[in-house]
Order: sequence, then C-alpha cells, then structure tokens
Amino acid sequence: MAEGRETGKGVGRVLVAVYALFALSASARAGVQLATRYHEAPLAYLLSAFAGGVYILATVGLAGRQRWHRRLAWGAVLVEMTGVLVVGTLSVLTPADFPKATVWSGYGAGYGWVPLVLPIFGLLWLRRTGRDTPANSTRD
Amino acid sequence: MITTLAFALVALTAALAVFGLVTTALGHPAGRAHTLAVGGVEALLVVQAVLAALRVLGGARPPETETFLIYLVVSVCVLPIGLQFAKADETRWGGTVVAVTAVATGVAVLRLLALWGGASG
Repeated sequence: MAEGRETGKGVGRVLVAVYALFALSASARAGVQLATRYHEAPLAYLLSAFAGGVYILATVGLAGRQRWHRRLAWGAVLVEMTGVLVVGTLSVLTPADFPKATVWSGYGAGYGWVPLVLPIFGLLWLRRTGRDTPANSTRD
Repeated sequence: MITTLAFALVALTAALAVFGLVTTALGHPAGRAHTLAVGGVEALLVVQAVLAALRVLGGARPPETETFLIYLVVSVCVLPIGLQFAKADETRWGGTVVAVTAVATGVAVLRLLALWGGASG
C-alpha cells in the first residue's frame, strides 16, 4: 500500500498534467533537434533530451500510486530542481556554451518560467501528500 | 493554414482555459459542459490540422517542417487526452486540468502561426 495520500488526485492531477505536457514538449523538441541538427549544439540538445527524460520520470512518479512511484517522483523532481538551477545559472554566466536554448536556459524563461516554478510546486506537493521523504523512505 | 481560423483558435483556447478555471473556482468537477466545450474547440482544431496538412502535402514548406507537423499533431491530441484525464477525477480540479491543456494547445497554435508566417506558401 502506498504511504501518504495519492499524488495524482485532486490538485495533484493538475501537476501531473503540467509535467506530462513538459515531458511531451521537451522530448519532442529534443528528438527533432537531435535528429535534424545535432551538430549545431550537441550539449544543448542533449540537455533538452535529458530534461525530457526527467519530466517523463516525474510524470510517472507523480501519477502512480505505489511507494516506488513516490520515491521516483522525489528523485526526478530533485534532479529537475537542480537541473534548472545549474543550467539556468550556467546559461546566464556563460551564454557562449549555450548557443541554442534548452528548456532550462535562463531558468526556463522561454517557457514562461514554468520550469523554475514547477519543481517547487512538485516538492511542496510531495512533502504535503506523504510522510515518505528521501530521509526516511529507506527506513520503511 | 488559415490565419483567421488560427487566431480564432487562440482566442477560443483562452476562453476554454477561463471556463475551466471558473468551474474549479465554483467547485464543479469536469462534466458534460467540459465535454461540449472541448468538443467544439477540438472540431475547429481538426479542421485547421486537415487544412494545414493538405497545404503541406500540396507542396507548402513552412520553415522547420518537421516541427510544424509535430505541433499540428500536438494541437489536435492534447485536449481530448486532457479531457479524459480531467473527467477521471471527481474533484473540482478537473476544470483546471482542462485549462492547462487548453493553454498548451493555444501555445501550439501560436507556434504554428509563427512558423507558417515565415512560409511563402
């Protein structure tokens, strides 16, 4: 049985929907870029693909009901938060390394800052719906 | 692609988003009204997608044609999937799910417009 409340119900369903849309847009965009013009900016395009993968994992984790879903969601959203902060900072400090935008460039400015706000909501929602945190989930 | 239809669809998806948010504010779960509203917008999206696809098949080449076609598919698929997802939940938040998918669809239509605007055809 899952611990805590289900993360994909109620307002959590909105969160899952937004994550699914980002999973779709980041992955599709990266797919096209890698397939048609990989050589132009391999780092940026691979980062977009990585971001797409993280969004897919977060979507699955948040939508699922099992305990491992919650762990998966915690991991994915934490990676996402780190990713948007690190890539966002690097893209501002060394723009030359990011000739082509990724989802996380400029802290997600190209996507209406949603990439920056989304993991914050994700982490708050995970904390609110369950007692399972990375700190104690290994003990259970 | 018909520019007038595309602009109308941007306005309609925005209206649909407002409608979804209002039903959430009023505490109503997603129901028949959402199905009808999404159905109406979706019908026009399908018309737009068919017309645009026919133009591309007829030789029109918008810049980044692959991206254009992906946005075209996305513009048609997102709302029905979002509606199903919204209706599977009995809480008031179904309307917000519809609103989120409506905004995403509107953005897709805007991207289609921008890409098509760069095309000569």
